[in-house]
Amino acid sequence: MIEGSEKSLQGWEPEVGSDLSLEQVIDLAFDYRGNTTVVKTDGTELSGYLFNRNPDVPQPFIQIFDASGAGPFTIPYSEIRTIKFTGRDTAAGNSYAAWRKRREEEKTGGATPSGELPA
Amino acid sequence: MSVPVSQMWAVASYVVKQRLGGRRRYPLVLMLEPLFRCNLACAGCGKIQYPAQILRKHLTVEACLRAVEECGAPIVSIPGGEPLMYPDIGRLVEELTARKKYVYLCTNAILLREKLEAGVFKPSKYLTFSVHMDGLREEHDESVCREGVYDEAAEGIQEALRRGFRVTTNTTLFEGASPLRMREFFDAMMDLGVEGMTLSPGYSYSKAPDQDHFLPTRKTQELFSRMLANPKRRWKFNQSPLFLQFLMGKRDYECTPWGNPTFNMFGWQRPCYLLQEGYAESFQDLIENTRWERYGKKSGNPKCRDCMVHCGFEATAVHETFTSWKGFRDTVVATVTGKP
Repeated sequence: MIEGSEKSLQGWEPEVGSDLSLEQVIDLAFDYRGNTTVVKTDGTELSGYLFNRNPDVPQPFIQIFDASGAGPFTIPYSEIRTIKFTGRDTAAGNSYAAWRKRREEEKTGGATPSGELPA
Repeated sequence: MSVPVSQMWAVASYVVKQRLGGRRRYPLVLMLEPLFRCNLACAGCGKIQYPAQILRKHLTVEACLRAVEECGAPIVSIPGGEPLMYPDIGRLVEELTARKKYVYLCTNAILLREKLEAGVFKPSKYLTFSVHMDGLREEHDESVCREGVYDEAAEGIQEALRRGFRVTTNTTLFEGASPLRMREFFDAMMDLGVEGMTLSPGYSYSKAPDQDHFLPTRKTQELFSRMLANPKRRWKFNQSPLFLQFLMGKRDYECTPWGNPTFNMFGWQRPCYLLQEGYAESFQDLIENTRWERYGKKSGNPKCRDCMVHCGFEATAVHETFTSWKGFRDTVVATVTGKP
């Protein structure tokens, strides 16, 4: 799943271990354009949009706006067990090719309504 | 070149002051993104793909002004998202122009007529509407993935000009752009009466839906060389002629990523307007703690390899203009002859 950059990570619930480091999961979550759920080492969870991470400081951290938009909440890497990709991937399915296909269908009498935006 | 003398003077004196002050990295244009919401979903744009709670949020005017003061750049560009959807856009612009910042409000112009009729803005030499126009009707509507937008934008431009506002256009070019059609587009924009045009190749956002149509360096140079060969005297460009020469392959520049720093609800974006590799809490933190050596062509970073976008290289061109006699001379010659 990690290597397939074309595929969405939506729904993925990675287990951090010898094959997959926490830093890798955080980088993927940082790059993910949807909400994620941070599972903390104490078992609590926080869902929202992970918009920042900084591994280059003495105490690496992530920052997140929760699902209501409140925040930002800062969480040290040391308090994170894993991150689940629970929200819809807003970058997925927005293909330019799909829009062009719909546009062509519209021109040739397909059913797509005029002015429709990419899904 | 169509930049007014007062604006050129403000930029020139600012650049010289930075140099005299020994400042190695200084900002030229602040990219201020008060929101990510937009009323379009363009294929080349990766800026609007966020969850709903992020798209609903926006910066306060006060947060915007703090960022402007902190940064100190003489020019503030307001992209987004669509800035005309920002509820406090009138007050923000008023506050910025009162501070004598040259504001470029980058809009798709769908709401421009409505906002002008509502009296949201007052004409000022400090305010320019930079209207997104990616080509003639067919090309632009395709680029923004909605038909009819070109005509709406053209109407907005005409209304703004009629009311005495400064209006320019901003055009992003992708693979497949026709030099001949673009030359017709330049004529069309001059016929509309805009003050000047800005051009840039697109950048391949990793999140942009259309990944197949971004231009690699060689194709960019070929396109711009053909498009700008024997330019008509009436074409006015609201950007550095040296930057246009760079796009044509006549100059080789290194990126100045700190030249156009970006501030939005997440903070100060590292390292530049296009790459999102994290956020700094303050402008000082951005300048001092970003590992700049990781970016630009010399770094070998593959994300920077084919980038020739204005936000990285126009600041380099402006720097050359105002800090070297050769750069100044070449700029003057290009401006006088009208030939980039």
